[in-house]
Amino acid sequence: MSKKSAEFHFIRSRNSEIVSPLLMVILEFLQIIFAGILAGFLGAITGLGGGTVLVPVLTLFFGVPIIFAVGASLISTIATSAGSASAYTKEKIANIKIGVGLEVATTTGAILGTLALVYVETHDLEWLIYVLFGSVLLFSLLPTIKRTFSELPPDIPADWTTRVFQLRGSYYDARLKTKVEYKGVRWWAGEMVMFMAGFISGLLGIGSGALKVMGMDWAMNLPMKVTTTTSNFMIGITAATGSSIYWSLGYVQPFLAAGTAIGVVLGSYVGAKMLVRISNGDIRWIFFAVLSFLGIEMIFRGLYLDGLSTITPFWQVSISLIVSVALMLSAFSIIRVKRRMMHIVSR
Amino acid sequence: MSADSEDKFSLAISAILKVGVMVSLFLIVLGSVLIFVNNGSNGIPLDQLANVSSISGINSRDLPLSNVVTGAIHGSGLYIVALGLWVLVFTPISVVFASLMNFIFEKNRLYVVMSTIVLVNLFLALFIVS
Repeated sequence: MSKKSAEFHFIRSRNSEIVSPLLMVILEFLQIIFAGILAGFLGAITGLGGGTVLVPVLTLFFGVPIIFAVGASLISTIATSAGSASAYTKEKIANIKIGVGLEVATTTGAILGTLALVYVETHDLEWLIYVLFGSVLLFSLLPTIKRTFSELPPDIPADWTTRVFQLRGSYYDARLKTKVEYKGVRWWAGEMVMFMAGFISGLLGIGSGALKVMGMDWAMNLPMKVTTTTSNFMIGITAATGSSIYWSLGYVQPFLAAGTAIGVVLGSYVGAKMLVRISNGDIRWIFFAVLSFLGIEMIFRGLYLDGLSTITPFWQVSISLIVSVALMLSAFSIIRVKRRMMHIVSR
Repeated sequence: MSADSEDKFSLAISAILKVGVMVSLFLIVLGSVLIFVNNGSNGIPLDQLANVSSISGINSRDLPLSNVVTGAIHGSGLYIVALGLWVLVFTPISVVFASLMNFIFEKNRLYVVMSTIVLVNLFLALFIVS
């Protein structure tokens, strides 16, 4: 037995004099559920999904190996996706046809992404996952911030893919109180972004909803409502692909995954309810700050693990904290100014 | 496609997703409770099952898919949790299967092919390692 695990048992046995071992484990399980609730809540509020928050929380604060964190996260992501997609498909906002068509690329990407993770794990390159994860997390915040602006895309002419891949659709917009007719274009470009989204999903154990949204919004020019709901529907299918492979590789720790799945579902349920109330407020910026903190912290931790950076964990946290607050304050003020300008122009 | 069958299709997909999550959560909670009540599962003591900080502890490789259903029927808490997690994985797979059926019904050849590719990918993922 290594010295480390001997120490671990020592700590356990010393603590168990105060509380019974069973109670200790129950407390640990409740902590995992709580991490899941936090992740599900933040994921729902920001629209990024549970996994994006769960992996940093489990690795940074719970000391869970990144492989297990990624495994628990991806499988919990299916639960949140299915939960909310159930509501969206019923309202017929999510376009199942477009979703399934794009899944050709995401599922293929997910398989290759998972295999890339195996390579990373067997070559002791875990630090790379931390750095990539942090970068993707920060990058993911962009389209979410952008979403505060435009609801409907500019009207551009249909191309050949609109006809061949049947990209026309309509939905009833409850806020605009009209039936919105839309058409998708550049299907091939959408597929390309989706392949990347699938790859990232398999590699990092997240739904990569932000990338999926980008594929349908930027590449295919679909309305934001259709984009976010269809992305949500697709996340489950992509995550199921990666999760099956993770399972046979042993990346899923059942005790951990059980806790996170329960927690994430509860958290995203509460988050979705809250979202309706606070969507107009500026409170969302606090949550964006939390996410950017986690992203910066993941990058620091990765560089630290590799020995590229020698900044101690205390300073990592402090620097991440300062940078994330500064980042969010500047983004917040830029948006404020832009909004005011748009207001003037529209008048 | 008639508006009526489109309605039915959307409702069916929505129902599959909802039932899938509910069944899965029920099994996960049930399995977890059993693990705590029995102070462990599959002959593994509780504190070892709960050790999530070591990569060498219990993981999904010890619970192959082929054993999950029989293990769960025999009342193993660990396998019931595993079954719950697998129900979760199979929920989106059945959604893709349902849309394949719908596209066949609609005689939409292109999308029959595409949903078949997605299903092939999903099954490839199930067996790629073994």
